[in-house]
Amino acid sequence: MRFFIRHITDKIFTILTVLSVIMLVAILAVILVPMLRKGLSAIVFNGTIEFRKMQLDLFSRGDIDELKNEDIRSRLYRNKIYETIESFKQNIDSETLSDKAGVIYRNFGKELQRKNIKGAEYQKLRSLSRELRDKLQAVFKSSDKKFIQENISDVLKFKNDIAFKDTSIDGLFVLAEDFASDIEHIDLSRRQQYAASLKELENIITKLLGPNPSLPVPALKMDRYGATRRDIAEKLLNRLLWLEQWQQDSPGKPMKRVITPRAELFAGTEIEPLFNYIRENLDEILVFKPAFYWQYFIDDSTPGHYFGGVWPEILGTVFLTLAAMIFVFPIGIISAAYLAQCQSDNLIIKIIRMAINTLAGVPSIVFGLFGLAFFVLYLMPLFGGPSKPCILTAALTLAVLTLPVMIRASEEAIRSVPQSYVEASLGLGAGKLTTFISVILPAAMPGILTGIILSVSRVAGETAPILFTGAIAFGPTPKSIFDPTRTLSYGSYDIAIGDKLAALVPHNQYGMVATLIMLVFCLNIAAIIMRAKISRKLKGH
Amino acid sequence: MSDKKAIIKSENFCFYYGSKIGVKNISMEIYPKSVTAIIGPSGCGKSTFLRSINRINDLIANIKTKGVLLVKGHNVYDKNTNLVNLRQQVGMVFQKPNPFPKSIFDNVAYGPRLQGVKKRSYLQQIVEEKLKAAALWGEVKDELNKSALALSGGQQQRLCIARALATNPDILLMDEPCSALDPIATGKIEDLIDKLQTDYTIVIVTHNMQQAARVSERTAFFCLGELIEYDSTVKIFRNPAKKQTEDYVTGRFG
Repeated sequence: MRFFIRHITDKIFTILTVLSVIMLVAILAVILVPMLRKGLSAIVFNGTIEFRKMQLDLFSRGDIDELKNEDIRSRLYRNKIYETIESFKQNIDSETLSDKAGVIYRNFGKELQRKNIKGAEYQKLRSLSRELRDKLQAVFKSSDKKFIQENISDVLKFKNDIAFKDTSIDGLFVLAEDFASDIEHIDLSRRQQYAASLKELENIITKLLGPNPSLPVPALKMDRYGATRRDIAEKLLNRLLWLEQWQQDSPGKPMKRVITPRAELFAGTEIEPLFNYIRENLDEILVFKPAFYWQYFIDDSTPGHYFGGVWPEILGTVFLTLAAMIFVFPIGIISAAYLAQCQSDNLIIKIIRMAINTLAGVPSIVFGLFGLAFFVLYLMPLFGGPSKPCILTAALTLAVLTLPVMIRASEEAIRSVPQSYVEASLGLGAGKLTTFISVILPAAMPGILTGIILSVSRVAGETAPILFTGAIAFGPTPKSIFDPTRTLSYGSYDIAIGDKLAALVPHNQYGMVATLIMLVFCLNIAAIIMRAKISRKLKGH
Repeated sequence: MSDKKAIIKSENFCFYYGSKIGVKNISMEIYPKSVTAIIGPSGCGKSTFLRSINRINDLIANIKTKGVLLVKGHNVYDKNTNLVNLRQQVGMVFQKPNPFPKSIFDNVAYGPRLQGVKKRSYLQQIVEEKLKAAALWGEVKDELNKSALALSGGQQQRLCIARALATNPDILLMDEPCSALDPIATGKIEDLIDKLQTDYTIVIVTHNMQQAARVSERTAFFCLGELIEYDSTVKIFRNPAKKQTEDYVTGRFG
């Protein structure tokens, strides 16, 4: 019976261990797989013609002729959008129309002077044209249809007047006729409303398709291109088609989200069919094509995080990590050697050990503030440098942060070196230092490398300590360790806190995070291979 | 034997671990170019005494000594003793084979390198010579760059002997060198000890009385930190002066 129970408990124990391993793997998969999958979307996605234009302009990549053909075809579809909006805008925009009438009136005056018409004749034509202009301007400002029709017909009476034949005043009649035909479908009382809605609509269309080619090229690179990816395009299309509003039924009640088709705002106008047009012809307008953007890893992002890749971020992360390791490695090992050698009942050693253990648990933001106060604001000026965050201060802060991890791992490793090695070395007449460097250190290397692996993973991913001590979101690639740098961790943090940015370039954020994971993974693999090699050598295989 | 001048001489030597006595009032003389065995039950202080000779016991905190322990006429526990010189003159082989996790070559060359030998050819010469002296050359001459840990236990122990010899010591301390080895490896080590005594003074601590009888010229019997009897091996094993010694060597020790 006792044998049976022991058998059962052993089995349960085995099953539990296997289960816990499976659970660990599952949790890892649940966290990592979506992260990497989303990160992959920064590299493999459905690109639009805007993406290819951007690649050609900023990085000189892609087939120019093919792109030109695509552009011509998409223009065909796009022009209709721009034309419709333009004409609608004119009709609702009384000021532009008034200005136009004013210009025609002034031109007519100049024309009269050119024709050498003078005296009473000039005065007559001048005042008549002024009258027509004023009438039209009143029409443009009015929202009373009856008044408009009366006045327009008044104006058009002069159309065939012999005095105005073949003069520039004709423009006024064309304006009046166009207006009369266009306003049939427009509710003039809603002109203000249309103007606001149209502005919003144009805004979204600019984001979707890029700026109107008839306008001057925007100064900011990020404004020069429309949606570069299908997912973003679809998001923008959604915003285009649906209007999201927050309404409150009565005071004190929670706000409610109300979604209505944006087309309703333009009911009855020429804009209304445009929505369906864009939705149905999105493929032709944006020319989707699968893109494999592996250059994501080697491109600079231009500008900000809108387009391009994460090369400066990768570089910055690697540099910062290595720089921190350069500080941590010797200091950590020397401290560990001291601690490992000393008897642990010494009061000073007890205090040091307690300090190290406490440091290991201090939140990283505290290290960030410490780094700002000590390295940036105190040490840098002390050594005659500018009191400015840079790679050096960031690396030092990270080094301080990870020192406890390193010391503990190294101390363990050094303690676990067999005493017999030490005895053998000392027995051969070696000093303490020689023994440490040539016997203890090599034998402790695998354990120390474990410490380094832990430190590297921590350092590469930390954001808070470098927040104030040397990380920037945008800026040039650093030229020396006295320049601040971009890093993957800080980059993704910056996208996350810039609320608009996170909505516009979520793929870039995931891309950075996935790159960071892979980078840490690669660094770890490198260290693990090194550790395995050293271990094998130590074991004599 | 007594006509020779003692190379190691202790007079009322006492050794304390803190307040605990390791050995007390040891007075004995060890003669050059011979094998001296130290036997005794566990905890009798034989290893403590051996490890005092090259001060490897200094690794332990809170130790105290009294009396005199002379090696080649110098008191090793003198404040001015140069530990490096002392340990180069007094080599040591430990209970468990403890080669460094380095190549065979680097293991043997460790001592000479510490002495400042840098020339590769000279190092090679030393390594070959010492490996030959340790009767290991024939087995490892083609794989000097192999890790020492890949060798068998017996080979490792002979490598440790070669490593100890490489600093050209006068004295070789052996702390139960065969306790971790099988009989064949033990036999080889014993042959080696026999060969080495023409050039070196060997002090060997052993639990194995047959071994002491086989390899040593003189034997010291320690018990409870005191030297009970010290005489020629033949006398100790055949006709001991003290009852305690007789009990121990005949296996009646309780």
